[in-house]
Amino acid sequence: MRLVQLHYSIPLARVKPPEQLLAYRTFCLKTTMQACQGGVHRRTQSPVTGKALEVFGHVEGLTYLCDPENGSLFLAEVPHTSDWASVLRAVNQYRHTPDGGVSSDLEQFREDSVYLPKLTWIQDTLRMQELHRPKVLEIVTPPSEFSSLLRDSGLFAEVITTDEMILCSCDPAIAQNSVQVALLRESLDRVDDPKALLDAVTRSLCEGGLLFVTGLVASGFDMAVLGTQNFYLYPPDRTNCFSLKGLSTFIEQAGFVLLEVSTPGVLDMEIVRSHLQRNPQLPLSRFERQIIHSDEETQLAFQGFLQQWGLSSFARIVARKRT
Amino acid sequence: MNCLLFGYGYMGKIRYQVLRNHPDIQRIMIVDPYREPSSLPAEARIIPPDTSIPWDQADVVFVCTPNNVTADLCVQALHRCGHVFCEKPPAKNWEDFCRIADAAQQIPGHTLVFGFNHRLHPSVQAARTLIGEGGVGPILYIKGTYGKSGGSRYRQSWRNQLGISGGGILLDQGIHMLDLFHVFLGPLNLVDAVLTDAFWDCGVEDNAFVLLKSEQGIPAFLHSSATLWKHTFCLEIGCREGYLIATGLLSQTGSYGREQLVIGKRQFEDQAFALGNPREEIIYFDRDESWQKEVDEFLTAVKNQRAPHHGALEDARRVMQLIRDVYALKTPQAGGPHPATAIVASAGGVGKDS
Repeated sequence: MRLVQLHYSIPLARVKPPEQLLAYRTFCLKTTMQACQGGVHRRTQSPVTGKALEVFGHVEGLTYLCDPENGSLFLAEVPHTSDWASVLRAVNQYRHTPDGGVSSDLEQFREDSVYLPKLTWIQDTLRMQELHRPKVLEIVTPPSEFSSLLRDSGLFAEVITTDEMILCSCDPAIAQNSVQVALLRESLDRVDDPKALLDAVTRSLCEGGLLFVTGLVASGFDMAVLGTQNFYLYPPDRTNCFSLKGLSTFIEQAGFVLLEVSTPGVLDMEIVRSHLQRNPQLPLSRFERQIIHSDEETQLAFQGFLQQWGLSSFARIVARKRT
Repeated sequence: MNCLLFGYGYMGKIRYQVLRNHPDIQRIMIVDPYREPSSLPAEARIIPPDTSIPWDQADVVFVCTPNNVTADLCVQALHRCGHVFCEKPPAKNWEDFCRIADAAQQIPGHTLVFGFNHRLHPSVQAARTLIGEGGVGPILYIKGTYGKSGGSRYRQSWRNQLGISGGGILLDQGIHMLDLFHVFLGPLNLVDAVLTDAFWDCGVEDNAFVLLKSEQGIPAFLHSSATLWKHTFCLEIGCREGYLIATGLLSQTGSYGREQLVIGKRQFEDQAFALGNPREEIIYFDRDESWQKEVDEFLTAVKNQRAPHHGALEDARRVMQLIRDVYALKTPQAGGPHPATAIVASAGGVGKDS
């Protein structure tokens, strides 16, 4: 199994500017709450361990529960599946409007700093696993900026893009054992039933096929330090926020062997600092404040330490379906 | 298969642990007359000293002995059994190696594999897949540093006694790096070398600096050392589109550091925040399956009656030729005698010890 450290930094303002995030977040929360008015189902058991979930805290009145064994977080109440699919589509559409998450001037930077490194990661992994031009299943809330990059990369014999919510309910267009690679970019964070999604993906992969997963993890530094005060914890994007251990276990239980479990995030320190700038009263420990206010070299070194030991909040997992 | 294992030193123990858990191995017989029977594993069949070797009961033979007896045992094992795994170095010297090669040539259907497990380390295997078009591009050069600190009992070790070992740190440890150079560059020729015996003064080199060139003209440089007070393994591969640096080794002691591979992509001013400081990705590895893979490959080759995919006679020949050429070219400087001056001492056992 491998663990990865990225030796570079990206300014938060260039990929996830807090001001734009807050407007998008407000829309997400509002849309979720509206959907909840149509009826909800309460999630009581962890999809990882089956243990009874415990109350973790509240985000703008919405309750998050916690798996007591591994610290994974789950939104307690989610709307019915068809309503949830509408929520995901609505927030994705909003993200692509001028008021939404990413403004057009940031798009190129995001492509260079977020999408292309992900493509390089996939490319290098395919080489290391000696998989040449596989057929790939990309699981998204459509439309996805990443789809065209995948198609234009020349890495794949075929790129099939499918809606995560349709796949959850057994997308008839995706045959069993039909793809060699599946990409779950933060889909497990979003869907109302992550187990159903992962099972569907597992079925679509052929034996020995590779699964790529990215997501934010509750065990990472900024998530762990800020808890429910973290602006990045909100539904539907973070309906589920697994811990690294929880996510690894979840994938292994679905019939995979882990090849990479890493947290190459570069933004933990900056995220906590930006929260502290907005709210100096945040209940941080003296040590946490000391680290956050340290010089640039110390901060870079600490971020590197988080990456190196699986403690950043951005996680990447590569797993191979068992034969 | 029944296995006959010669030598229960450091390497013999490692091989034994892999073999005892291998599904194709039914029984292991151990020959090491210099070890107390109580120090040998109870579940193995121990062949007592002065007892004839049960060649007829062995399907495969593992030779994990000091270098001075390797060739005799390999030749005998090839004749009596036909399927032999020999620990590195392949022999004490070029002449001994040729005896093994000649014996192999006389035996049709034989299997002969030499233990070059470093090429199966995860960082090296990952590096191999990343070289070439679409990755970091073709190789421009390779530099390898591999060394250890020796330790207070260094002079007493058979590895540093010319009559037993046949050479110093280059033959003992540097040989692994030479094998890796071959893996990445193919056949190499010696350009120049400097050997010194400046610290340990054992009569064998404690530092070797070896400059090589591939048949395509790609340079490679090795520093093999017994005076690296911090244990070091570092393989640096410079390529047209980037670079790879494998450092650290997953080993029993962990003294070489965490095994990792740095992947750097070439970036000029238009692509990077700062010239000369490109994006790097560092992969850390936590599982070394090289011993297992090496034994698997040998036993599979025996079972399927096919040639081994690595560690074959030709791989061994290439590194032994280079070491022969280095020793012919240079003598240790500053202190030590020429390697040909035999230093005879008891090995204290037939097993390879660290």
